[in-house]
Amino acid sequence: MFMTKIIKGLVDVVSNIDQFVPSDPPPPKRPLAYASHNETDEERQFRKVFQQLAGDDMEVSPKELMTILNKIISKHGDLKTDGFSIESCRSMVAVMDSDSTGKLGFEEFNYLWNNIKRWQAIYKKYDADQSGVIGSDELPGAFKAAGFPLNDQLFQLIVRRYSDEMGNMDFDNYIGCLVRLDAMCRAFKTLDKDNNGTIKVDIQEWLQLTMYS
Amino acid sequence: MAEEQKFSETSVQLTEAAPQTVGSGFTAPGNIYSAILSRNEAVKDARRLKDFQELRDKYVRKKVLFEDPLFPAQDSSLFYSEKFPLKLEWKRPMEICKNPQFILGGANRTDICQGDLGDCWLLAAIACLTLNDVILKRVVPHDQSFTENYAGIFHFQFWRYGEWVDVVIDDRLPTYKNKLVFTRSGQNNEFWSALMEKAYAKLHGSYEALKGGNSLEAMEDFTGGVTEFYEITEAPKELYNIMRKALKRGSLMGCAIDTLVPTAQRTKTASGLVRGHAYSVTGVEQGKRKDGKDLMIRLVRVRDPWGVAPPPACKSNDWVELAKTEQDKQRLQPGEQGEFWMCFEEFQKNFTKLEICNLTPDTLEDDQMFKWNVTVHEGRWVKGCSAGGCRNFPDTYWTNPQFRLVLLEADAKEKTCTVVVALMQKGRRVERCSGATLHNIGFAIYEVPKEMKGNQQQQLSKDFFLYNASTARSKSYVNIREVTERFCLKPGEYVIIPSTFDPHKESEFLLRVFSENRSTSKVIDAEIEAEPMQVDNVKKKIKPFEEEETEEEKQFRAIFQQIAGDDMEINANELRTVLNRVVAKHKELKTEGFSLESCRSMIALLDTDGTGHLNLQEFKHLWNKIKQWKLVFTRFDTDKSSTISSFEMRNALTEAGFQLNNQLYDIICMRYANEHMELDFDSYISCLVRLEGMFRAFRAFDKDGDGLIKLNVFEWLQLTMYA
Repeated sequence: MFMTKIIKGLVDVVSNIDQFVPSDPPPPKRPLAYASHNETDEERQFRKVFQQLAGDDMEVSPKELMTILNKIISKHGDLKTDGFSIESCRSMVAVMDSDSTGKLGFEEFNYLWNNIKRWQAIYKKYDADQSGVIGSDELPGAFKAAGFPLNDQLFQLIVRRYSDEMGNMDFDNYIGCLVRLDAMCRAFKTLDKDNNGTIKVDIQEWLQLTMYS
Repeated sequence: MAEEQKFSETSVQLTEAAPQTVGSGFTAPGNIYSAILSRNEAVKDARRLKDFQELRDKYVRKKVLFEDPLFPAQDSSLFYSEKFPLKLEWKRPMEICKNPQFILGGANRTDICQGDLGDCWLLAAIACLTLNDVILKRVVPHDQSFTENYAGIFHFQFWRYGEWVDVVIDDRLPTYKNKLVFTRSGQNNEFWSALMEKAYAKLHGSYEALKGGNSLEAMEDFTGGVTEFYEITEAPKELYNIMRKALKRGSLMGCAIDTLVPTAQRTKTASGLVRGHAYSVTGVEQGKRKDGKDLMIRLVRVRDPWGVAPPPACKSNDWVELAKTEQDKQRLQPGEQGEFWMCFEEFQKNFTKLEICNLTPDTLEDDQMFKWNVTVHEGRWVKGCSAGGCRNFPDTYWTNPQFRLVLLEADAKEKTCTVVVALMQKGRRVERCSGATLHNIGFAIYEVPKEMKGNQQQQLSKDFFLYNASTARSKSYVNIREVTERFCLKPGEYVIIPSTFDPHKESEFLLRVFSENRSTSKVIDAEIEAEPMQVDNVKKKIKPFEEEETEEEKQFRAIFQQIAGDDMEINANELRTVLNRVVAKHKELKTEGFSLESCRSMIALLDTDGTGHLNLQEFKHLWNKIKQWKLVFTRFDTDKSSTISSFEMRNALTEAGFQLNNQLYDIICMRYANEHMELDFDSYISCLVRLEGMFRAFRAFDKDGDGLIKLNVFEWLQLTMYA
């Protein structure tokens, strides 16, 4: 039923991956010594904060990520949110985890963090009525600015999935949605090896991608 | 002076990316987690990896000397924890001497002189490498030089966990007062060994990563083979036979004599052999004396890589007795300086260590008559899912990855099959800079019980390991890169269980099985399946209780209306309220409560009419599923902790009707278990709702049933974002 409905609507859809601008993939891991010689002062300061937060194993778990994010947004009164949930943070760790450890290393966390900062700036800019949330009429502009010009059908699905009954998306849902959207666009590009706009996946690949996300 | 100045002018600092053929970013093309890992791989054309040939030609054309940004001429490439006391300069061979050569007069053992890095284990292996020209030329491509096509760029090839890796470097080497600090050649203008050491250092992240090691490890990296180590005094009775078979299959062998006292000076035994020195075994021979006496002659041919004449006391001329023809005489004659025959008894008496490097078929020449049959498996120990530890931990031991081994034929003239099993942990040396150490690893081999023979996909269960002893196992759990053991097993079916000593130790590993005769070896894994909706069964169950079901249905509808309100649709907030109310009533279901995020996801996964809410039928379906899954949860909550151990998730999912493969169990545990390796009730339900939803979605798109679905980007995003 649901699938039939979607399929019908797709007749009018033009498939063009190029209009999406997901982030560049995270950089490869480098030896610690390499980083310490080549990073800027800001980067060095960030690394120290990371070491403090991540603990001895130098990896951020979903629980630690939740603590970090909720601590930070509590300082921004203008971002309306009821806090990042553990489920949301597990999902973010999964889609950002580039070496399949179940946790985020420094490069992965830094990459995620830079995205969050960028998307936060967009959030504030496109919250035109200063309500602290993104309304359904503000959403297309915000997502386009973030590099994701979706069509109306996708926006409807996203509003159903990430916004409240009034169509308002608060900050933690906004970030959770964009992290996932960014990752799924990157995944599609990678799987579309011949760049023809179509991917083929078997059940194992499908479940790996959708269960670990 | 003018010459020196000319070169420094052309040393331009470049920012272009070099090929990323090595390092922690390297992933083998067939990696079992390719679907996830590929998600974050570079996809832009500009980042396509360049191979050595392409890079070199480019720099030759540009007349610029290559500088490697991935292994820069800086301290970070030298050390990660220590500081070298001297101020080092990085110089190209052109800047060190006038007439540099890559290889001078052929590569030989005197080309390797140790420097100030504690990597004699590596140099011993390089020295052994020079004894086999075919293998050497693979590791050290000989068509490189400082004249023809020179651009300051060189490459070497190493075997890395099942793949041959091309390592590209520039030729800047650490020097002090214009002399090489680390490995150098006996001839001052020869540089292949120093450059090879640099390439190996790059492979492991830094020169310091090469401090301390076992030459067996390096031998494997140069050959892709499997090494065995024997203390000769403790070696099995059939050591001679093992050596004979090994040489017949093209294996490399080295032997040595323990030093009595740690000393820089090499001492000699009473027989005149050098302690602490690496000899090679180049042949074995046996037969009867010409005069027909019953006495059997067993000889071992040994080579001193220094080319020194053998001490008379050890030397045996009995090989002449075995030379029945002129052709035999030519074959048995010691081939070069430093090579000599010994009686096997004398060999056993004098030498204390024997190392055998068994080569894989791809390394050997095509005309080699005898080869090992080799199968290679990649695997992983995942904390909370498949890092089960050793048999001291019965609750989790059974969850270690399992590999089925079928031995089809006994060895010639014997009743058993010879099998060499090698278990290698991956990547630990590279991660040394972040404090990683080697795990204690080992493995055991169990005979498959009769009722399970032929069924290659069935795992041995927890109960099996409680009541059955292993048929064979590695001697002990050791914190070395690879544990290797040789066994003689009867033809039949076995399961190999690799593990770390303690549970919850994570690592990737490589398991290799070498057998003399035909055998099959494969990971025990299941096909991915989910039970279809059992409509008939449902009808049968409902029928006898028709009247009662109707009454229950009425009550259910009343409850639904109370929750959903007049619109008869449940939204995420309402679903959360209902679910949290239910779990509150059942004290055995410990949970922090379903989050709004989980409830939104569940609605998306079950929403069949696209409204973003659950209608009566959708909610009823979810409700019935939760009741079913709750029963499974309670059954597997063995310690009544109100949580499921993530190790039990495999059994729970099977009970719930899902059959997944090992990788999927791994990632589900990583995704849904908490830091204590437990799943509480809401994570468990979230996982199952999603799993069911994704199976349903796949089936909906796989119209022709060929096991593949084809998606454009909007279909892809609709399925993955609304989930």
